[in-house]
Amino acid sequence: MQNRFLPYLLTLPSLFLAAVVIFWPVWDLIQISTHDVSRFGQLRDFSGLTNFAALAADPDFIAALWRTGLWTVLVVGGALLLSIPVAMILNMDFYGRGIARVIIMLPWAVSLTMTAVVWRWALSGESGMLNSALLGLGLIDHNIQWLAQAETAFPMQVLIGILVTVPFTTTIFLGGLSSIPDDLYEAAALEGATPLQQFREITFPLLKPFINIAIVLNTIYVFNSFPIIWVMTQGGPANSTDILVTHLYKLAFRIGKLGEASAVSLVMFAILLVFTMIYVRLAMREQRA
Amino acid sequence: MNLAKWTVGLMAGMGMLAFAAQAEAGEVRVTVAEYSAKTGPYFEAVKKEFEAKNPGITVKFEVVPWDVLLQKLTTDITAGTNADLSIIGTRWLIDFVQQDVAEPLDGYITPDFKGRFIDTFLSPSIMDGKTYGLPIAASARAMYYNKELFEKAGIAKPPATWTELQEDARKIKALGSGTFGFGLQGKEIETDVYYYYAMWSQGTEILNKDGTSGLGTPGALEAAKLYKSMIDEGLTEPGVTSNNREDVQNLFKQGKVGMMITAPFLSNQIKDEAPKLKYGVAAIPAGPTGARGTYGVTDSIIMFKNSKNKDEAWKLLDFLFSTEQRAKFTQGEGFLPVNKEEAKLDYYVNNADLAAFTALLPDARFAPVIPGWEEVAQITSDAMQKIYLGGDPEAGLKDAAAKANGVLKK
Repeated sequence: MQNRFLPYLLTLPSLFLAAVVIFWPVWDLIQISTHDVSRFGQLRDFSGLTNFAALAADPDFIAALWRTGLWTVLVVGGALLLSIPVAMILNMDFYGRGIARVIIMLPWAVSLTMTAVVWRWALSGESGMLNSALLGLGLIDHNIQWLAQAETAFPMQVLIGILVTVPFTTTIFLGGLSSIPDDLYEAAALEGATPLQQFREITFPLLKPFINIAIVLNTIYVFNSFPIIWVMTQGGPANSTDILVTHLYKLAFRIGKLGEASAVSLVMFAILLVFTMIYVRLAMREQRA
Repeated sequence: MNLAKWTVGLMAGMGMLAFAAQAEAGEVRVTVAEYSAKTGPYFEAVKKEFEAKNPGITVKFEVVPWDVLLQKLTTDITAGTNADLSIIGTRWLIDFVQQDVAEPLDGYITPDFKGRFIDTFLSPSIMDGKTYGLPIAASARAMYYNKELFEKAGIAKPPATWTELQEDARKIKALGSGTFGFGLQGKEIETDVYYYYAMWSQGTEILNKDGTSGLGTPGALEAAKLYKSMIDEGLTEPGVTSNNREDVQNLFKQGKVGMMITAPFLSNQIKDEAPKLKYGVAAIPAGPTGARGTYGVTDSIIMFKNSKNKDEAWKLLDFLFSTEQRAKFTQGEGFLPVNKEEAKLDYYVNNADLAAFTALLPDARFAPVIPGWEEVAQITSDAMQKIYLGGDPEAGLKDAAAKANGVLKK
């Protein structure tokens, strides 16, 4: 009898904390998004789903929604593809591995905003380092205005997003790789397995739980990531690099539409919740099987 | 046991937070915008001087970067933890008044106090006959030009009209070597304003007389076409939409840009960062009918209705708007004088740069005092960016005018 209630009792403190830091703000957001609300957050009349309807009718929101999907897939996918080989190399024993590991981890130590500010300077059209480097190498013959249009600004932002996501992802994979016993590789090598076969049959399957956790955590993190895009373009020019967070920020603090901004926030919360639940379900089922 | 300990700790922590948020008697909290590196030290000095003169009153300044000021105020007011006084952009004032968070100051203002101000700058803070704020910072825009580039290109004097400006820009472009005729801002704060300079010279206003958006008028189209043709002809710096005001100012300081329109503080920056640059300040060019306009801006300091120390706060305001304090602040930041006595000081009278700005004041337009102004400005900036990137001016403006009218109708 006691045993049945004990788990619930033990989760109670964390449930309480979760209620304070998650449920309460979400409840507040629901309140704000379903009311006519003043610039300073005073609730007026109940307005139902008007704010959500306004979002659905706003082409900028729809564009930002799709772009957020693209941004998340590209950054998370890119970071994943890059991190697996990086982690495998760093897991090998070679001279100077310590330094190599530090260098890979460095972008993680610098604040995201600062990284974005530095890149903004580096990408500046007339006095940016990237342009002068490319000119010096003879790769281009005139300055490229990287941040002037979405066609060049957004891919750059994605690249920077990948760059800053790699350290965390690599760390997860390094942990995963070190948990794979060496005897497996030795045995496989004795049987004549090529490195590619070793990767496909040993490394990848055993790394899968770590890849799953990296996907879930990175998706949540990148989906909500504000500084890179905000610092470099503020979602511009003409909202063409906006993702949902930057769109939300403009709605709330530039224009003062707290109701619509709260609605965006809830939409984002719902998307992430659904994604995480589906993904964790799938990943767990796979593991059990 | 452990849980209980944690709970007690948590409660104690929350209690301390609540205590910290509570205002002490005789304490005046002021949120101020950080205009430059000099803002913080200036208000530090004010605190010392004022507290020495007024025993029993302590002053606490919270210096906040401009970009996040409105966000901070929004969250503070929502949570009820706002300061007693705050600097705000005067264009936001209508929201504060409508939401009933700003205290009218008429009860404190004596005719003598009111007489200190230059009317042009005080009037934007007056709404429905009540004074809700005092102009703590005032600024206008004028055209800076690089005298050296002008000389090299054989141009005798700054352009008086936009047609002349285009010709001069062509001559400067012909100099080659990475020089650009006209610095055009196409990103972030005041992107819309940069467009209004051309629009006002066409005799078009931001709002038509009937309260609809001026973006749909032929004058607005002419102005947009002017900028677009200059971009297409290569008379501006490349990549207009990647340059905010600071970026264009930096190009000007580096001597790469022949002309640009900006605020008086650029003079201070040039003095510090590029003292060898030879430049002049002139009026904003006029349109075909001789119409011209500059952008006038004031920031106001307001008192919050829920302040518990209003009398003490007023004493501080009275101190801040003394001629001596005003002169220190205005000269440090590179603003225009708002006090009549201050404007008579030698510093302003003998300053050719500032004279060019004050001469433009009769043509100054302030941001219209309407709810939803920030949204209309955003719509205009977005439309301009699309046009600068190669979009069709006519379709872009028509679309923007429709959107702006939708906001204005509310």
